[in-house]
Amino acid sequence: MKLLKCPMNGVRPLSEFVFGGEVREMPDPNTCSDKEWATYVHHRNGAPGMKKEWWYHGPSGTWFIAERNTMTDEVARTYLYGQEDKQ
Amino acid sequence: MSTVTRQTPLAYAQQRLAPKMTVLNGMEVAIEYTSAELEHKRKATLGICDVSCFPRFGVKGLNVVQWLKEKKVEIPPQANSWVKQGDTLVLRLGLNEFLLEDQLDGQACAALCDATQPKAYGLYKVQRNDTALILSGSHVQELFSEVCAIDLRDAALLPNTVVMTQMAGISVTLLRQEFNGENVYRLWCDGTYGPYIWDTLLEIAEELGGGAVGLSCHYKEML
Repeated sequence: MKLLKCPMNGVRPLSEFVFGGEVREMPDPNTCSDKEWATYVHHRNGAPGMKKEWWYHGPSGTWFIAERNTMTDEVARTYLYGQEDKQ
Repeated sequence: MSTVTRQTPLAYAQQRLAPKMTVLNGMEVAIEYTSAELEHKRKATLGICDVSCFPRFGVKGLNVVQWLKEKKVEIPPQANSWVKQGDTLVLRLGLNEFLLEDQLDGQACAALCDATQPKAYGLYKVQRNDTALILSGSHVQELFSEVCAIDLRDAALLPNTVVMTQMAGISVTLLRQEFNGENVYRLWCDGTYGPYIWDTLLEIAEELGGGAVGLSCHYKEML
């Protein structure tokens, strides 16, 4: 069984979680170029490596961030958004 | 104005057991399924009791702790913990979300419902339509091992901890409490999943020698 640590609820089976995609910074739609906006909307970086990802713990409704190596599927750490420095 | 008597979310699932019903807090609830003697045996082995009729109050928002303190509600110190204040369970479901439940026919939740609109504090009342159960007996861990992936034994589950996990594939909130001198587990899930979780748990309970127990098995005053 694969396990993931929710920063609020502790270690749980992966089946309790939903993947929410890579954490990506949205460019300011009022000031960015069309190319930058199109890249943000349509392009994803599929190259394997250490990535920040959104994950959701269903039973408690908790969104959090996991730093995961998508090549090895190892999770380095998880934390709530905005609490990166507290971990 | 007429008052509508609500049905427990488990009403149709319980129909085949033909329980003796009563109305508590405006909801029909099963107080007895069979003889008291047999129900007490079930309770000691693995009893499942429907307590969906208990009054509940949910609230969430950034200033919820301050608002509840002003209402003289005891606040559990950290997320995912609970305290008992009089006859009311106070569950802290996250940093800023709470569930309160009166036991049997307490009035604390009704008072909070009628209190000053929490919207003024930037809070939201969370509508609760839970299926709520009491699980008791010596074989309850065997039941959990069939439907739940995490360790809920006494040694692993610290007192006053609220667990939010999945059981038989659906999201549940769970805690362990001492009640009438014995350890019991309290379980809440969304009411629409009630018949499924009831049928699933009851099937396992009956295999293990337990079964459904009525409210009067835990609360003698209901007889």
